[in-house]
Amino acid sequence: MNPVALVHDYLAVGALLFGIGLIGLISRRNLIVMFLSVEIMLQGVSLSLVAWSRFHGDEGGQVFILFIIAVAACEAAVALALILMLSCQAGNLDVAGWRRLREEGIEPPVDPGPETLPPPAPDWIPLTPVGRAPDVPPEETDYRPYV
Amino acid sequence: MDPTRIMLLAALMNGAGLWLLLPQTGSFPFRRPLNRTLGTLLGSAGLGLMASQLPGLGEWFSGSVFWGSVFWILAGVTVVAAAAAVVSRDPVYSALWFGLMLLGTAGLFLFSGAAFLAVATVTVYAGAILVTFLFVLMLAQPEGRAGYDRTSTEALLSAVTGSMIVALLSIVLGRVLGLPEAIAISSAATGGTGPTPDVARLGTVLFSRYLIAVEVAGVLLLTALVGAAAILARRNKCPCEDQTTANQMDSPTEGAA
Repeated sequence: MNPVALVHDYLAVGALLFGIGLIGLISRRNLIVMFLSVEIMLQGVSLSLVAWSRFHGDEGGQVFILFIIAVAACEAAVALALILMLSCQAGNLDVAGWRRLREEGIEPPVDPGPETLPPPAPDWIPLTPVGRAPDVPPEETDYRPYV
Repeated sequence: MDPTRIMLLAALMNGAGLWLLLPQTGSFPFRRPLNRTLGTLLGSAGLGLMASQLPGLGEWFSGSVFWGSVFWILAGVTVVAAAAAVVSRDPVYSALWFGLMLLGTAGLFLFSGAAFLAVATVTVYAGAILVTFLFVLMLAQPEGRAGYDRTSTEALLSAVTGSMIVALLSIVLGRVLGLPEAIAISSAATGGTGPTPDVARLGTVLFSRYLIAVEVAGVLLLTALVGAAAILARRNKCPCEDQTTANQMDSPTEGAA
């Protein structure tokens, strides 16, 4: 069995995780999901390191991953404190509210704007139908099944 | 087709699938269920295509097909959970998928002999960081759903960037690891057949060769702790309780002292 195969597979999985995390970091707008994407990228790098560590029979790669975990814990502490302060000031977790934090002379990214959510479904109890079905006027069709 | 083009095609299919699965405003490019189905199909086809180009691991553990399939199951769970964490419309579901991805990577660590790292990943990431995520999520977004979770910024460009990086890495990987030098190194070096990394050796190396780095990491943790406390203790009272500073997205620093 060729030991290169193990490294090859692990590095491919690590590259996939890195790419997926990068896509999430660029495109998602929730601050916490962006931070999760960074952690996914870190896990991809950790997978490559553990594969090389196994390949060379050396513990250096595993020690690196221990430091990655330590730095990720620090990063989580500081970044979540910052996110909490930002969300307290802005009232939400949308990163588009912080687009003024960019370099001078650079155009802001295109913002499609948050999608307007449908109103939440009414918390009514559906009742067991009894008797003849009444003729429902069309303007009452949305709440008639619930009353 | 040569493996390079197949890898490129697979990475492009993965990127297109993620682009279709990412939350987009309204019904773009198709209706939402169609987006979801097409994205899942494209992404899984791309993953399968990429996996078909990778060397199998069936004989890694004394010719047992079982261990090879364990690797593929773990890798599939990891990648699918990562993709689901990125495209999920609810941040709580994102955090839960991230937890599943952590379990997958811990399994992969265990599979390659890094037992201590698997335990540390589960303990630190899934035990501490993930719970802190959920805690902040409950504090900052208690209503659970929000409009900005349903849209993406530059979804197409980000998908192209990510798939190009994956294509580049995997193509270079296939070429470099297929060189005769790599085969020679692997047959000559201790790779795989060398001593299995164990926790005792890891501890010995950690506290002899990397002792100063361990101390620096301890100082870094302390600094991060003090920094996080300082960021949150900047003011006397949390602005969340101050209704006048809430919902001021246009001038977020007005409430800052």
